[in-house]
Amino acid sequence: MAVETMTNPEPTTPEAEPSEVVIETRNLRKVYRDFWGREKVRALNALDLEVRRGEIFGLLGPNGSGKSTTIKLLLGLLFPTSGQALVFDRDASDVEKNERIGYLPEESYLYRFLNAEETLDFYGRLFDMDASTRRERVNSLIQMVGLEWAKRRQLREYSKGMTRRIGLAQALINDPELILLDEPTTGLDPIGTREMKDLIIRLREEGKTVLMCSHLLADVQDVCDRIAILHQGDLKEMGRVDSLLTVKDVTQVQARGLSAEAEDEIREVIGKHGGELMSMEHPTSTLEELFLRIVRDSEERPGRRTVEHE
Amino acid sequence: MVVDELELLSFFEWLLPGGDGSEMKIGALGVFLLMVPALSAAVAFVCYLFSVARHGPAEGFYVVARTVAAGVTDVSNISPRRVWAMARLAINEAIRRRVLIVVAIFMLVLLFAGWFLDSSSEHPARLYISFVLTMTTYLALALGLLLSTFSLPTDIKNKTIHTILTKPVRQVEIVLGRILGFVAVGTVMLVVMGLGSYLFVRRGLSHTHTVESFERVEAATDGQAENPLVWRGTCTSADRHSHTFEVNQDGQGQTDIQRGHWHRVVQKSDRDGQPVFSIGPPQGWLQARVPIYGGLQFRDRNGQAAKKGINVGKEWDYRGYIEGGSQAAAIWTFRGITEQAFSKQLSLELNLRVFRSFKGEIERGVLGSIYLSNPDAGVAMRSAPISFEAKEFSIDEIVFGRSLDVIERDGIPREGDIFKDLVSKNGELNVIVQCSERAQYFGMAQGDVYVRSADAPFFVNFLKGYIGIWLQMVMVTAFGVMFSTFLNAAVAMLTTFSCVILGFRSEFVSDIRTGDLEGGGPIEATIRLLTQMNLSGEFSDQLVTKVVQFVDQGLLLLMSFTANILPNYNAFDTTDYVAYGFDIYGGLLSRNLTIGLVYTLSAALVGYFFLKTREVAA
Repeated sequence: MAVETMTNPEPTTPEAEPSEVVIETRNLRKVYRDFWGREKVRALNALDLEVRRGEIFGLLGPNGSGKSTTIKLLLGLLFPTSGQALVFDRDASDVEKNERIGYLPEESYLYRFLNAEETLDFYGRLFDMDASTRRERVNSLIQMVGLEWAKRRQLREYSKGMTRRIGLAQALINDPELILLDEPTTGLDPIGTREMKDLIIRLREEGKTVLMCSHLLADVQDVCDRIAILHQGDLKEMGRVDSLLTVKDVTQVQARGLSAEAEDEIREVIGKHGGELMSMEHPTSTLEELFLRIVRDSEERPGRRTVEHE
Repeated sequence: MVVDELELLSFFEWLLPGGDGSEMKIGALGVFLLMVPALSAAVAFVCYLFSVARHGPAEGFYVVARTVAAGVTDVSNISPRRVWAMARLAINEAIRRRVLIVVAIFMLVLLFAGWFLDSSSEHPARLYISFVLTMTTYLALALGLLLSTFSLPTDIKNKTIHTILTKPVRQVEIVLGRILGFVAVGTVMLVVMGLGSYLFVRRGLSHTHTVESFERVEAATDGQAENPLVWRGTCTSADRHSHTFEVNQDGQGQTDIQRGHWHRVVQKSDRDGQPVFSIGPPQGWLQARVPIYGGLQFRDRNGQAAKKGINVGKEWDYRGYIEGGSQAAAIWTFRGITEQAFSKQLSLELNLRVFRSFKGEIERGVLGSIYLSNPDAGVAMRSAPISFEAKEFSIDEIVFGRSLDVIERDGIPREGDIFKDLVSKNGELNVIVQCSERAQYFGMAQGDVYVRSADAPFFVNFLKGYIGIWLQMVMVTAFGVMFSTFLNAAVAMLTTFSCVILGFRSEFVSDIRTGDLEGGGPIEATIRLLTQMNLSGEFSDQLVTKVVQFVDQGLLLLMSFTANILPNYNAFDTTDYVAYGFDIYGGLLSRNLTIGLVYTLSAALVGYFFLKTREVAA
């Protein structure tokens, strides 16, 4: 019946000197036990992480790899079996840290009988905001997530994408410095996914720190500065996305307006330099780009269109 | 009226230490101040043991200490806005869950209850009032139970609590907000039910009679009377009773008292000059008597001071008895008898028990006498005795007029005045009751004789009765929320329900433990049930018997300990006061409010620690 965590032995006042390290875990372990205290699952093994101010950090891994557990430990919703989870140099169980963080849960766990305005107003009250601040924040956030047309509807009538947006809005109600996003793009259509990703990048531009976890690799690749890959509770890889993904011995060339002869000539040049030509082809666009282009066109010129065949 | 067997204490007598030399009492505050550290230390120790099992001895201590320290910070940083936000959420949720159905049930029952309440009973008002109050109590407790125990577990199951706990909200605010919100909902429901009940009682009792026959009364023998009696008549039967009535010359009159009520009668004349009587609505049965209680002393048969009355062998030794035809007497000393409050007369009400050592004339009550005397040591002034017939199980009313015959040392009666001659300078007055018949006995306790001052408004007393119900609901809600911080919904509800039952039946449990009630503890009782063995049958002296009884004793000890910590709901039930027409006195109300508040806050605190030390995401 006692709190299982330790506070930081030497707490430093965050106001004095903004620490560069926003999140730190030291040898963080979590073992789930059943009612009798028997070990059920080892969710996390000796995790050491550092997330610095202003970066987007991605936790990557298959289902059950410990991503969500890490986030919940950082939020104080779970207590570590051993080790420490520090947020802003404070112990994760310290409620004061919540003033400066925003959290978007895996599925937006919101009260379905409230409407969008009431929901945001309620969370605003939990930050002890006064009425006028709340009104201002609520309006600007509803506008930001594009739900003005549905702000008086109960959340039970919302689609999954709309729920996700309002979930994001509640995470940003206090204009947090650190935002934790648990699977931010699940359940969103491609447009929503793109908007979410744009928003995450915008948050970084505003100087905020983002920690997100996902199993959708493309999303992580698009937005994250650094990633950590978890598997079965162990940290497998950590580093900057660009350096992790750069294949050093391959060079990619893309050119426009070349004739067939010119292509042959290039092949020869590569052969002359002892290189191996891996592929030379006409690139395809990604399906995401195609889809987004079609939707945008459709919004500009509504109505049915003949499908182009090549 | 079931009087409090306990002493009738004022709020501060109850709260603060005191006592009359022979036995010192530490007062409720004292008990509280002793219990809180003892219980807290015990709980902290148990938590430490758990913590040691997890973290080892030194680390375990730090964990407990830190939790307590965090608790102090959290509690001192409670934000009203956050508590209110949580409360609003709880209210919203309660409305979502259609609690209004409870009011609908209530109204439905009231609609049909009139058919089943026996209007021919001797005290219909009592029946109606105790019916509505009891039903409201059950509904309010059920409401508190259902609302409070399902809320938090649902939040934890739906994980909506994750979004809450990652905001700067303290667990104590969540618990307090829940309690506050549900209490607010319950309060609104109680107000609605209260108004419904009040109207139901008023309308259910309302009836009227018409005049059946009347006759002119021959002028009384002394024709000098200012306002002589002129008319006498009978009413038609309504609600299975009828009245006779008398009207004086000024055209005003009233009926006799039947089933605790009477009607005003007004005489008018119709066009032909014939008298017409109109009979008003029933009066007098919705009342709230305000008794002033006094201290009681006994005199034995030789007139010497005695600590107690005679024990006539009744098991309930609440009442002491005095012997008739001797100098034995019971002396009540009343305080606060002021001229302003009793300008015209002094009404006393007696509720004596009679113990007959021979049958005598059984139809007639036993005769007694009552007189007033001046408690001041130097003044030997007393009133002429009034003799009365003790009607058992109903209240005898005795009225002393303001001016009355007084007797001084010389024994010669002369005209006197209650306040000049009998009430001492500090407003005290002695009332002495004696039994006049040899070898018959009167039984009495402190609450059995009281001075009746001006009645309090019935509506206010009804409201006070509802405050008692409200307090019970608040405590059930608080305990429900507390249990739901660490148990799942169904288990929390059962546990809270058990606590209510234990709270209602705590005396039963302690009686079984001490052996005053036969049948044994849980296991023994089960064995008796299954083997169809009667309550007093002896078990054979085997090892199994010993083991069973040993385990039972342990269980009973645990149960009675729990029952002693839990609120005693009976103490909050003031239905009888309202139903029997007694004002719920301020000391009782403020005592109950204090106890209720302390229990509610304690439950909130315990709930807070459970929620704080719980992994909500596990």
